[in-house]
Amino acid sequence: MTATAGVPQAVLSAAPGTAPGERLRQLHLSKVLVVGVVLVALLLLVLYPFGWVVYNSLHEDTTQAWSLSNYLNLFADKDLYLPMLNSVLLATAVGIVSVLLGVPAAWLVGRTDMPGRRTVRTLTLAAFVTPSFVGATAWILLGAPNSGWLNHAWRWVAGAEQPLFNIYSMAGTVFVSAIYTVPFTFTIVGSALDSMAVELEDAATTLGSGTWHTMSHVTLPLVMPAILAGFILSFIQGITLFGVPAFLLAPGGTQVVTTRLAELYQQFPPQLYLAAAYCMPLLLLTAALFLLRRRVLGRRRFTVISGKGRAGRTVPLKGWRWPAFAAAMFVPVTAILLPYTALLIVSLSKAWGRGPSLDNLTLDWYAKVLVGNVETRTAVINSFTYAIAGATLCVALGVVVAYLVERRSVKFTSLYASLATMPMVIPGIVLSVGFFAAFTRPPFKLYGTSWILIAAFCAAFLPIAFAQCSALLKGISPDLERVARSLGASEVHTFRAITAPLMRSGLVAAWLLVFIPIIRELSVAVFLITPKTNVMTTLIYNAKDGGDYEALCAMSVLLILSTLVLIAIAQLVGSRPRRSTLSTEARR
Amino acid sequence: MTQHITRRRFVQSTAAAATALGLSHWRLAEAQDDPLYQAAKKEGKLSLYWGSYEQKTAEEFRDAFKAKYPGIEVALLRQASQTVYNKLRLELQNNVAECDSLGTTNILHFIELKAAGALQPYVPQGADVLPSSLQKLDGDGMYHVGAVSLTSINFQPAKVKQPPASWKSLLDDEWAGKITIGSPTASGDVASWVVAMRAKYGDDFLRGLARQRPKIGQSNVDTVTDILSGERVVGAAAPFSYTLAQKSAGNPIDVVAPADDLILNLGVMGIPKNAPHPNAAKLYHNFLYSREASQILSKNFWPTLRSDVPWAEGRTLEKLKWYRNPPANLAAEVAEGIVKWKEIMR
Repeated sequence: MTATAGVPQAVLSAAPGTAPGERLRQLHLSKVLVVGVVLVALLLLVLYPFGWVVYNSLHEDTTQAWSLSNYLNLFADKDLYLPMLNSVLLATAVGIVSVLLGVPAAWLVGRTDMPGRRTVRTLTLAAFVTPSFVGATAWILLGAPNSGWLNHAWRWVAGAEQPLFNIYSMAGTVFVSAIYTVPFTFTIVGSALDSMAVELEDAATTLGSGTWHTMSHVTLPLVMPAILAGFILSFIQGITLFGVPAFLLAPGGTQVVTTRLAELYQQFPPQLYLAAAYCMPLLLLTAALFLLRRRVLGRRRFTVISGKGRAGRTVPLKGWRWPAFAAAMFVPVTAILLPYTALLIVSLSKAWGRGPSLDNLTLDWYAKVLVGNVETRTAVINSFTYAIAGATLCVALGVVVAYLVERRSVKFTSLYASLATMPMVIPGIVLSVGFFAAFTRPPFKLYGTSWILIAAFCAAFLPIAFAQCSALLKGISPDLERVARSLGASEVHTFRAITAPLMRSGLVAAWLLVFIPIIRELSVAVFLITPKTNVMTTLIYNAKDGGDYEALCAMSVLLILSTLVLIAIAQLVGSRPRRSTLSTEARR
Repeated sequence: MTQHITRRRFVQSTAAAATALGLSHWRLAEAQDDPLYQAAKKEGKLSLYWGSYEQKTAEEFRDAFKAKYPGIEVALLRQASQTVYNKLRLELQNNVAECDSLGTTNILHFIELKAAGALQPYVPQGADVLPSSLQKLDGDGMYHVGAVSLTSINFQPAKVKQPPASWKSLLDDEWAGKITIGSPTASGDVASWVVAMRAKYGDDFLRGLARQRPKIGQSNVDTVTDILSGERVVGAAAPFSYTLAQKSAGNPIDVVAPADDLILNLGVMGIPKNAPHPNAAKLYHNFLYSREASQILSKNFWPTLRSDVPWAEGRTLEKLKWYRNPPANLAAEVAEGIVKWKEIMR
């Protein structure tokens, strides 16, 4: 209803000067169809399961009766509200640190002649695939106060008594969370920089502005939407992460929302309904963040791709090329090279407690993981199938929603935007229960099929696809689309012929940003899997849970290697031909 | 075709293989006569929701069962005990029938399921060979012992000459800053241990432990991790079987059975009333009480489920000194234990 009501107005305003009747007739059965499908998808994937989360939150766990007691408890029980404050603190810090690390790195990779740009890009993105409990495990090996290898090295080099740092602390938790969250800010800002016309920077330079001045007064403001999107995603990630705070923060006695949630599920009897209510304050907080973002950005325009051509010029760093490279390698080193070295050493040990030595060396764990058994293979195949299907559907949906919202092609754009953003704030385990309730009962009865998992993954990571696509679209001038429209192309056709090709590299990045978290996701799937639809992370987690560290590390190493290969392929598909496509498309 | 020839050659070539084959034929023949197996085979499938036993042992059970009873497709879902239980609970609330056999480390799950009328009675064959102290867990035969888990003290032998001999001695000054322990909020075994310690020594024990500034992890498995990495040297509320398995793999770690009792926690198993393949589930529960299954347990350093199959290194339940929390009022005891833990340890 909403959708169709919005259509004629949008068409009339977008195509002035043509006979309304004519337009309306052509109109765009296809657009009505697209809007309809998107609306139904959003309602089914987001609103319907979320409705179940709300319904659950309004029930009492023991009596199953309607009640507000869960909400009242949230603010009466110190054990519930203190973790919320800690979560907000952690998430804010994670957001800030990942902007501080990700934005400069994205600029160096996208805009300068720094050496090793492709290496930095690939490794930073690959950091994303690390399940948070694996990253935390590796950093325990590196940074535990007594036994951490880096602390050992420090004591040896400096002759110190005290450790260099203690990973079991709020600072340690922020650090480890942030290095695995940087891929958000890095990729989103990177895509914005990639698709930005250099002539604006050139103009500034021509007018006498120095490199730094240009960067702070032209480049940075132009990518502000992307930075804010990256910050918000990192913030949300900081709120919903479980593994890192569970392993690094809980030992010091500090609880956050996710570790408290785990307790609610762990205890007997479980308090699933209280857990549902426990997410709502976070949801409101994130909504507030989005409102704030809109106020900050206001009605300013951030067009960086216009109809005029662009050249892929870069800023020469001169003597700063190698120092810049060293700085840009901070995340690859701390998130990949150091931790995966630790994981590799463990995975090559017969018994890791004996430490690295020749007689302790074996490849058995890799053989076991690779040969595996039928169930392991099924789980690996399932993971990749769901991730490919989920990411593709998710990006398809995300880009259309982002288009409708950014180009204001429909009424109530903020409704679409909120629906597309909501799922991410709900911690996976709660979403899992919502999906279970929503899709197990008639008419869907999807439980036990692959579809319930694909749907849940698609919904859970829709916010990433949406955020990335919105940031991309903010940078593409609607002028190009208006030209096509005025020449008689339909909105759907314009999108396919003009907008989508312009977004190409950004879309590949969006696909990866969704694909990778699906591969490593554990909690969204937790109640939705059945033996037949089991996923890889369940097995990885079982290896951790059963203390099977050598196997855990071998699986993690294989996971990161296969992701690196995949990113390399995706970059070939997405990024290489893009420049030529972009310029030809833009000049057409 | 090629496979056929190789197989025939293989059989012809060695007498040993022929004997083995003959033996398995004989076993198969024995199994064929079992009407329960026939009924299970007609069902053709078995869906296991298990949290007791780690992935490796769970898989070895599954594989041995499949080899012994061909024609039944076994799907194993191994997740943490509370997770498989929550999952079954959700399924029951939504009228889904998927799970044939539930095995978790928390008897409270089964008490709740029984009260809700969600279990079906079945006493597995071989229940009479269980160690006498573990028989007749439920008077109505709704649930039975599926695993025995022991909680102990573990330590790094190269760094600790004289490990603490009892729970009480963990509170001695020399262990300050050296202890690692899991959390009762994350681990059922640690929760049982907290209940047992409070029953034995009251909250003073927890206060004394807090003064030792232990490193508090999540699962009881984390104690082994901390000891192997060298972060701490002594583990309290530590897993007995898993530590022994790590020791046998060549890792520098060992266990002590505390003088004031190992804490015993039972894994429990039962068949949901709505199980889609109840006969296959019954057959599987019978299998878990077989000699074969206990040998798998012994190999993986788990306590066996039969009094006539000794554990690894000749241990038996009779030879060890252990304590088990009485099931009456256990839910409240666990809840209170966790509250006190949070109050005192944090």
